[in-house]
Amino acid sequence: MSTTSIARPAASGPAGRTAGPAVQRPRGYRRVRPYVLSVAGLAVAALFALPYVVMLLDALRPSGDVLATPPSFLPREWQWGTFGTILSDARFLSWLKSSLLVASVSTVVVLVVAVPAAYFTARYRFRGRTAFLLLVLATQMFSPTALVVGIYREFFQLNLVNTYMALILTNAAFNLAFAIWILQGFFASIPQEIEEAAHLDGCGRFGTLWRVMLPLTLPGLVTTVTFTFIAAWNEYVVALTLIQDDARKPLTVGISSYVTGYEQNWDQLFAASVIAIVPVVILFAAIEKHLVGGLTAGAVK
Amino acid sequence: MTATATGSGAGTSRAGLGVTALWLGPALALIVGVVLYPAVELVRASTSDYSITGLRKGAAGADNYRRVLEHPDLSTVLLNTVVWVAAVLVLSIVISLGLAQLMSKEFFGRRLLRWAVIVPWAASLVITARLFMLLLDYNYGILNQVLLSAGIVDTPVDFLGDDRFTMPSMIGVGTFVTLPFTAYVLLAGLKGIPDDVYEAARMDGASPWQAYTRITLPLLRPALMVATVLNIIYVFNSFPIVYTLNDRNPGFAHDTTITFMYKLAFKSAEKSVGMSAAAGVFNVLLILVVVLAYLRISNWKEATDA
Amino acid sequence: MNKRFAAAAAAIGGFALTLTACGGGTGAGTAGGGSASSGAAEKVTSIKLVAAEYSKENTAAFWTKFAEAYKAKTGITLEVQVVSWNDIDQQSSTMVQNNNPPDILNLNVYASYAKDDLLWSADDVLSDAVKSDLLPNFVKSGTYEGKMYGMPDLSSARALFYNKDLFAKAGIAAPPKTWDEFVTDAKKISALGDGTVGYAMPLGPEEAQAEYSIWMFNNGGDWKTDGKWSINSPQNVETLKFLKDLSVTQKVTQNNPGKTNRTDGAFALFQSGKAGMVVGFSPLAATLDKDGKVSYGTAAMPTKDGGEPSTYGVTDYLMAFKKPGNQEAVKAFYDLYYSPDQVNTFIKNEGFLPVTQSGLEVFASDTKLTTYLDTLTGAKLTPTDDPGWDRVKLAVQQSIGAAVAPDGDPQAVLDSLQKQAESGS
Repeated sequence: MSTTSIARPAASGPAGRTAGPAVQRPRGYRRVRPYVLSVAGLAVAALFALPYVVMLLDALRPSGDVLATPPSFLPREWQWGTFGTILSDARFLSWLKSSLLVASVSTVVVLVVAVPAAYFTARYRFRGRTAFLLLVLATQMFSPTALVVGIYREFFQLNLVNTYMALILTNAAFNLAFAIWILQGFFASIPQEIEEAAHLDGCGRFGTLWRVMLPLTLPGLVTTVTFTFIAAWNEYVVALTLIQDDARKPLTVGISSYVTGYEQNWDQLFAASVIAIVPVVILFAAIEKHLVGGLTAGAVK
Repeated sequence: MTATATGSGAGTSRAGLGVTALWLGPALALIVGVVLYPAVELVRASTSDYSITGLRKGAAGADNYRRVLEHPDLSTVLLNTVVWVAAVLVLSIVISLGLAQLMSKEFFGRRLLRWAVIVPWAASLVITARLFMLLLDYNYGILNQVLLSAGIVDTPVDFLGDDRFTMPSMIGVGTFVTLPFTAYVLLAGLKGIPDDVYEAARMDGASPWQAYTRITLPLLRPALMVATVLNIIYVFNSFPIVYTLNDRNPGFAHDTTITFMYKLAFKSAEKSVGMSAAAGVFNVLLILVVVLAYLRISNWKEATDA
Repeated sequence: MNKRFAAAAAAIGGFALTLTACGGGTGAGTAGGGSASSGAAEKVTSIKLVAAEYSKENTAAFWTKFAEAYKAKTGITLEVQVVSWNDIDQQSSTMVQNNNPPDILNLNVYASYAKDDLLWSADDVLSDAVKSDLLPNFVKSGTYEGKMYGMPDLSSARALFYNKDLFAKAGIAAPPKTWDEFVTDAKKISALGDGTVGYAMPLGPEEAQAEYSIWMFNNGGDWKTDGKWSINSPQNVETLKFLKDLSVTQKVTQNNPGKTNRTDGAFALFQSGKAGMVVGFSPLAATLDKDGKVSYGTAAMPTKDGGEPSTYGVTDYLMAFKKPGNQEAVKAFYDLYYSPDQVNTFIKNEGFLPVTQSGLEVFASDTKLTTYLDTLTGAKLTPTDDPGWDRVKLAVQQSIGAAVAPDGDPQAVLDSLQKQAESGS
């Protein structure tokens, strides 16, 4: 089944924003449906959050209690000060800053580079199109662990060791594949007619892309932003190798300090980890509603 | 801009070299500049002879490759890799199909669900792996405590040390951390399906299951394919879960190709970065073969050309 | 691939290809260069230290202050990179592979680097005053083929930690002196029930070589005897069989000792008050004191027949890479590091033991350390002066655990390690 033959966009704008798939259901189910869904949804949510609730509780007990036998779900002794300790630690704050900077800029770079490439691959036939898509995909097949020696050599020669620039470039390059592949799919599924209509209205190629196509691919963009930001946020081995100054280390590298073979601060490790999740969830909360957008043609004016 | 919408097939246009370079240039520059050079270095390292310190002593020809192929634990590692990749992939795709459906519905608490699902993804794998190491431990693992007090087991289960449970435990955690990514790709795909298609199906009197198998799944195909292809690669290369959950076990009994590669370089008696690089090259080739096979089976070109 | 496409890609990626072309030769310094070249080279204005992280609170803070003092004294900048112990092998290897080693590297091995002729020897960079102050057994372990390359940064010694409350409950008056007593006591503690184990034994990959060495040394065995590997000597096989029996026959250890690491396994159990005995060192004591939950004592290790116990000692190293023009700077680094103010502060902060005579005197006042300090000068070390050990150690970590499993074969494992050691050196 071809995508375009089915996808006939709702030209009605707001009407397209109705709830998900609405197909025939038995009557009785209709009535209890909201409750069933809520219960199921909340149960699944609890399942996903549970390990991290344990993590939070581990941050709220003395380090010695974290690995205590037998274990206890709630702390035997509550210790509220750990988050304060972490948040007033200048080293932690500088790691947090590095992570925020590297992850944000990497995400922007990926978007700027991937959107044109994805759009072009979706809309044009050109020689080497398949080769390009496969090349992009191939970049993902090399694990950074295997490439880190060469990456170090490269940035050493470019005199970029110990710079954010090196991390941003690496993160951007290694996360392009996802962005290009998923956005490519989204662009391809947008019917040609919409674009042609925009053309007739006098939009140029870039204008069409910016004003018409991007709003239509918002779910894809949101997924891409989420993915790239998280990947850059959690990158470890390249930052470990390229960054020398303690202040420029990202969180992932920095927080390995909390637990060593000689001194274990499990409470601080987990408190730091909880804090490290927060920016991602905030970012996600801010853009999540666009996932609902779906394919509406309301954007074409 | 010379290209106009005069294209053949499903309405795509043809483009010349100059235009192509303009649109793809930045992406190509990044890939060639940042990924290609280290990849070349990897191949060079795999044909070099290194001292235990990392000092290059000369060319090694195919010695490193031969030593990897002759490694007594290679078959174990390959088998582990097949089990690991297949199990995590299948489990996460199947579960994510349901999860994405759930997340796409309108109900009280949906937002909470979406936020909760993002958490395992947002937490770094290194930390999640450490967390699960604590949760699954024989002595201080909370999971054992729960199983014991619920009367499900009489003695604790050594999830990470007992050979029967190590791989299943890793697969469980591996699936758990793969779900968010997969579910969100599928959710984005679901959201790309126009509502009026379902409307039409409803008019035709299709049952929900028919609507799902005849409309949702086929239209979800591009998203499913992206999720599958990328997951194959990510699960193959997934390092922290396998390494951390397995780090108490001596030898290579539960290693996959990626942790095998790392241990060859730094943790096992081979301690050879040349051998490790050769294993890294094998790893890439292995992934390449699997991905190409998948793309062929799934008629990828037809799907993206559409 | 299409030709025109390839051409375009090549043009765009031109700068990367240029890099590839010059990939082999460049890189700072000539890591393998001879010491004679250094005189002619221009003097460096900055050197780099890659330091292993012992603790979050102290390591980075110490080296930052140290770098300031070093700069004030010499005018040379000291760049510090603190790396976790888990990653430092990978980091040092990456740097050496790229011909860009640091000037000073903090690691637990050195002999392979000396063998590769990458290092300055003590004759080149250590002043006589410093050299004569170092404890003789550490000088010995730092000496490869007649020259000292491995300068010790700190040391530790192991002792038997025992839980006083559990001992009292089990009616044990004093820590065991012989292996028989050890088994008897461990059984009594295991019999207390409630998940209590007599002995927490970490033979997993993290530190298997340490745990095994201690028992080995206290049965009169050693890794090398008279300059030859003696890994599968009869008494070593006996020792490993004994350890296996502790778990499999006597059942006085925790579950799966061959798959238990030290930090998050055996120590965690002892810290929970669930293990009667464990082999520990001063950082464990510091943690226990901080937690304040386990009342513990320390004692010398039991020996097989009650003979004079051996202490197992460990030292890490600060080695200096030969790079053009860095000899003076490196020498100044060591001069400053081994000044009593610096070295003893570092060691005290991290909770370890001294490496110098003068340090011993300073630390003597600390009664908590008496158990270790008394035996430090006589402590036995693993053969870190043999480059072969760098490989054998890894083999030991990856295989000893399997020997103590129910179906494990101590003789076969040690035979195979012996074979590996002999073929490697």
